[in-house]
Amino acid sequence: MLAKEMVKQSLPLIILCGIGAIIAGSTLGAMKDLIIEIPGLIVIIPAIIAMRGNISTAFGSRLGSAYHLGIINADNLWNEELLENIKGSLFLSFFVSIIIGILAYITSFLLNVYPNPVKIILIVLIAGVFSAIILTLLTIGIIYLVFKRGYDPDNITGPALATFGDIITMLCIFGSALLVEVML
Amino acid sequence: MIYSWKKIVKHGLPLLTITLLIEVFAGQILQGKQDALLMFPIFLISIPVINSVSGNVGSVLGARLASGLHVGYITLSIRDKEMHDNLLISVLIGIITYLILAIVIYFIAVFGNLITEDIALIEFIAIIILTGFLLISIVSIVSVLTAFISFRRGLDPDDMVAPVVTTVGDFMGIVFLFIILGIFGVGI
Repeated sequence: MLAKEMVKQSLPLIILCGIGAIIAGSTLGAMKDLIIEIPGLIVIIPAIIAMRGNISTAFGSRLGSAYHLGIINADNLWNEELLENIKGSLFLSFFVSIIIGILAYITSFLLNVYPNPVKIILIVLIAGVFSAIILTLLTIGIIYLVFKRGYDPDNITGPALATFGDIITMLCIFGSALLVEVML
Repeated sequence: MIYSWKKIVKHGLPLLTITLLIEVFAGQILQGKQDALLMFPIFLISIPVINSVSGNVGSVLGARLASGLHVGYITLSIRDKEMHDNLLISVLIGIITYLILAIVIYFIAVFGNLITEDIALIEFIAIIILTGFLLISIVSIVSVLTAFISFRRGLDPDDMVAPVVTTVGDFMGIVFLFIILGIFGVGI
């Protein structure tokens, strides 16, 4: 009985997230030529996706707790507390993107691959900050809708961000790599 | 005011930096195997899927264990029956999901003309299922260990399990995929 309930409740959502990941994966497949042209590009991809996932889910779950604590609600969404949370997510994305770029460059160097450090750091930074802005706005939008309908944000933001997060992040990496490759 | 952006950054940075160091190593494995991946782009598509499923299944398992530990219907014992049931069902859910998604990926690759080298549907499914089975087993065990250890130390398993499980899943997913590809002799 327990097994049946668990499978029924979580399987559809996990498959849906998997479909989202297939779209993200297809974007990665479409980046074949860029991966050949920019050494080091493939190194930063798992890290950017993981950073985005970690920072956005933490942002979403903090907003969920803020809701339960009564700090934000449907009528009082845009306040100082939300602003601090947004700033926290954006600054964290900025610093962490630079760290990823440096780590990717140093480890490549140690493995005798010599990527262009400016290119790699710029690609991570543009992709990291852009995906942060888009996902922050998306999270606030989802939270607003969830409030309006009176649902518990804790049950919704996690899976929704997991599904859309990977796709948006992959598209941001694609765009940023294309932009940097054309500019530099 | 409860939140401050400086605190959010300060609390987030240490764990994120460790996580990302491991992710960069996962990326280096991809770089090392880049030629094989570009020869078989179907596996390039599969990597985010392999990682996402293991992360989600592991996180759901961790959240369930955390609730069980908090409420008290799961005890801190490696023989706990409730924990064993949850673990087995996670592995089962993982395998079903990998089977369904492998079929979807294969047909997307066929229609997208991404199959440049000959690989049969049955071979592709076997590779993904084997990788997925190994990965989900490891990730589920890591999820149980993380939940139990953090709970025993007075930390909230809800905060710990998701970052640990997704990082371990991302790294081991890539390692297992290349081990299985090696056994099948694909891309060497």
